[in-house]
Amino acid sequence: MKSILRWSIFIFLTFLIEKTFTIEGLNFNFSFLLIYLFVIHYFFPKVEQKKIEPSELLPILFFIIVGLLEDLFQGILGPAVISKSITGYLLILLIKQLFFHWTELFKAIIICIFTIIDEIIYSLIMIYFFNISLDYFSLLKLSFIKGLSNIPFGLILSWRKP
Amino acid sequence: MFKKTTIFLILGICLVSFLLISYQSKRQINFIKIDFSNLILPIQNLKNFFTEIFNLKEENRKLKEQLYQTILQQRSHHELIEENKRLKGLLNLQERKKELIAIAKVIKIGSNKFLKTIWIDKGHDHGIKVGMPVITLHGLAGKVISTSSNFSEVLLLTDPNFSVSVRVERTRTEGIVTGTGTNLCILKYMPLEEDINVGDVLITSGTDGIFPEGLKVGVVRKIERKKGFFQNIEIIPYQSDSKIEEVAVIKS
Repeated sequence: MKSILRWSIFIFLTFLIEKTFTIEGLNFNFSFLLIYLFVIHYFFPKVEQKKIEPSELLPILFFIIVGLLEDLFQGILGPAVISKSITGYLLILLIKQLFFHWTELFKAIIICIFTIIDEIIYSLIMIYFFNISLDYFSLLKLSFIKGLSNIPFGLILSWRKP
Repeated sequence: MFKKTTIFLILGICLVSFLLISYQSKRQINFIKIDFSNLILPIQNLKNFFTEIFNLKEENRKLKEQLYQTILQQRSHHELIEENKRLKGLLNLQERKKELIAIAKVIKIGSNKFLKTIWIDKGHDHGIKVGMPVITLHGLAGKVISTSSNFSEVLLLTDPNFSVSVRVERTRTEGIVTGTGTNLCILKYMPLEEDINVGDVLITSGTDGIFPEGLKVGVVRKIERKKGFFQNIEIIPYQSDSKIEEVAVIKS
């Protein structure tokens, strides 16, 4: 119960900050950080809880909720649910590969790449279904900037984890 | 490594989402949009308060300069307006009034993921409706794309999804100005044989039925005459996106 309340407050604050601050008209993609942090906390718990194999259903439910919230802020349901579910699932698959060393550099690369994947999936859906005018070079550039901007926040929030 | 149930679940979510998206894209379903504006406003106000303090002195100086210039111009303009009215009366032409709906402050820049937009602190309670033109002292700034009770979202002139019918002030040739996503715009559908020069002023033509005629839009910056039917013309808007502080919403 305490954990649900803590995550709810964290989600609320993340969206509030995401919607309040922009740099030169460019929004952040802090909602991906929620996915990243949840996966890190869930699959690498603080105390050794000796979960032999943690269920994947709870993280997926979390991805859907975050995606739904993001979609509700944009007024179009679906694109963020898809992008967050796919990106989150890819992240789970990566986390389950035990041979990776989760150094700060590795985490930075993961945050950047997965933010870019999330942004690209979302944007392609919007471009295809809603004829949003955005050229592919700008899309890559914007996604890359958002990926880079997520790195410091992601590293601070997941400091010394796992 | 891959759990079948998880993969089926992800596929199911994607399928349902795609169905929802396709219905929404055809406007068969609409969902409510969570409006964070009321929560964000105090934070924005605080941010704006500090910015304003820094800008106030400079703004005051500029306004005084503008006031003197306006007073000087007003004297000569008054004569011209009277003369214009008399001549229009003779020609039996009706003047289309640019009716001011509200003057609003910019409270936030771009919460929309794809569009270049700004938020202003007046909404449908103040008479603002979707589609209304938004101007500044310098010229056309954009148009209203969504409203709530006390806020409105304005699509900026430089957004690629924005277009306005314009006229070259010198030659009276008509074209369409569209944003590019950068700080510049382009003038479309201008035939190769048309005489356009760098520095030509563009004003709204009023033929699109959205923007009243005579609003200043921008100046021609660069012209390329390549093969094809039309010229490639770059426009610098009179109103720079990053310098919009106050706007006026007028009637279409």
